[in-house]
Amino acid sequence: MPLGFEVLRLDRVGKRYPMGDVIVDALVDASFTLSEGEAVAILGPSGSGKSTLMHLLGFLDSPSSGEIFFENRPVASLNESQRARVRAEKIGFVFQAFNLLPRLSVRANVALPLAYHGSPPDDAEDRVDRALDLVGMTNRAHHKPGELSGGQRQRVAIARALVNEPRILLADEPTGNLDTKTAAAILDLFKELNRLGRTIVVVTHSPEIAAHFRRQLHVRDGLVTEGGFA
Amino acid sequence: MRRLFFGVVNGFAEIWGHKLRSLLTISCVMLGVASMVLTTGFMEGFFKGWEVSLQEQGGIEKISTTAQGVKERQAPLAAVSPGLTRADARAIAALVPQAALVSPEIEATRPRLVRGGKSFEGRRGARVLGVTNAILEINRYEVASGRAFSDLDLHDDAEVIIIGSKIRDRLFALGEEPLGAFIDFNDRPFRVIGLLQHYERLWGTYNTLDWKNEIAFVPVTTMATKVQRSDRLSYLNFKAADITRLRETVDAASNVLAQQHRGIIDFNVRTNEEQLASFASTKASFVIGGSAIAGVSLLVSGIGIMNLMLASINERVREIGIRKAVGATPFNIFSQFVAEAVTLSLLGGAAGVAVAVALIKVLSATLPPGSTPLLSPSAFVVGFIFSVSAGVLAGIYPAIQAAKLDPIEALRYE
Repeated sequence: MPLGFEVLRLDRVGKRYPMGDVIVDALVDASFTLSEGEAVAILGPSGSGKSTLMHLLGFLDSPSSGEIFFENRPVASLNESQRARVRAEKIGFVFQAFNLLPRLSVRANVALPLAYHGSPPDDAEDRVDRALDLVGMTNRAHHKPGELSGGQRQRVAIARALVNEPRILLADEPTGNLDTKTAAAILDLFKELNRLGRTIVVVTHSPEIAAHFRRQLHVRDGLVTEGGFA
Repeated sequence: MRRLFFGVVNGFAEIWGHKLRSLLTISCVMLGVASMVLTTGFMEGFFKGWEVSLQEQGGIEKISTTAQGVKERQAPLAAVSPGLTRADARAIAALVPQAALVSPEIEATRPRLVRGGKSFEGRRGARVLGVTNAILEINRYEVASGRAFSDLDLHDDAEVIIIGSKIRDRLFALGEEPLGAFIDFNDRPFRVIGLLQHYERLWGTYNTLDWKNEIAFVPVTTMATKVQRSDRLSYLNFKAADITRLRETVDAASNVLAQQHRGIIDFNVRTNEEQLASFASTKASFVIGGSAIAGVSLLVSGIGIMNLMLASINERVREIGIRKAVGATPFNIFSQFVAEAVTLSLLGGAAGVAVAVALIKVLSATLPPGSTPLLSPSAFVVGFIFSVSAGVLAGIYPAIQAAKLDPIEALRYE
């Protein structure tokens, strides 16, 4: 599949924060570009800085140095509320621990990001239906997360990440809490979504999982290197 | 609109999802509202009861004179004064133009009313007063059937009597006609010429106006010459013709009485205005005391709410992290928590009003009259507004704390 336009570009992005008395460089001069339609694995051991990178890509955090361009616009200086708006409208998150709200139904969980949309789409209900259908969870829409298996919960979480039709789907160890068989099914779902044109970034410590993705970025001691295209 | 709908639905889901915590918060507000409404209701009930009793005693234009002991420096001269007599009534009527109605009253010391085998006497028995028709207007009595006293009755020391409903009930069988019948008053037969209206203001089963029904009137002249055998008045009441000149009326009457009594001040002229003033100070201390109680209960419910909201945030750090990750701004989180506080406060407020209504209903039936709380709209409005705002204010600080949470930290929280 030909790669599309640039979605996200990092230009010598660094992140440092104080930890007790010492200043920790969690990320140093990271520069790379993510294009539309890519499927990328960010691979690194724990403590390598891959979580920091993921937070920056997902607008949960702002860099200490360097510049991030989202859709060719510099966004490093956004304040917290502005970053939240970008998250609501352009980013989809999938977490290792699923992070569904246990008291809300599957449907309400999937609809959650739309509640924080700047201008809520008119077809919100249809979008929720489409997202549930895409992950094969339509028949469980009125269940509570507690009534679902781990794999089903992750599917709901993926539906939630897709409901705002994000430019990037960011997944942090999405198969970390799943058994091998279920993990494979979830990875297949990501591949299917990518085949449909979704830009996907998966953060993982596992080379086997990273091997499922066309492009790999290695993170070690805060340094990001291109792992090559598979 | 859609967003509001999502917000409300999610908010209710959260409230419903934490039943115990929500119930505790609601109880805090409920108790706050209930105690505010009850305190205000108690005060208003007290004030209202006092106002009614003042009205029934003649209103604020009534001026009452009673005999009283002289001051020590006048003690050797006390015998010089003729005391409070009917001559004083005539003097005031003649010399004080500001006094509209003058009512000389002599109360029988040991009244005994007998008819056939039935009698009405004793400590909690009837009062019999020797009066003129002036008392009817000053103390607000209405002759329901028969007639009031005629000039002739007073002139002839006629043995006629006007009786209250309770005396009629005690001395006459149902269906017996009291008018024209004879009653023995202290062993002297009196003809019944009039029946007073029945007065009733019920607190539960107790009639607080019964004292107006346990009374009988005879001409003041008859009382002086044939019963008490003394011209001494028990009370000398009169009315200010112009309420704005009450003070002036009192001064003029005092001067006339001092003159009559040869300078001996063995009388006391009181207005209900003084009662009004003492009531005002009682009212002030009630308001201060009541506000203090209400303030403490508000504070307690506010602290309870804040505590519960803070605990709820600790419990919901992860939820806040998730909401922020999917795009909630700090303001979104803040409004969510404030909205929950508002919802809980409103529910608590409604429950508090219901509890207060129920308590007032119960207390009205059991408490002695005069202190029964009132179901006043202002008590509800005040109690509701104050407690609900306390709930909302108490929700703001926790909501700010929630809004400030760092999403990365919040998501890491286990």
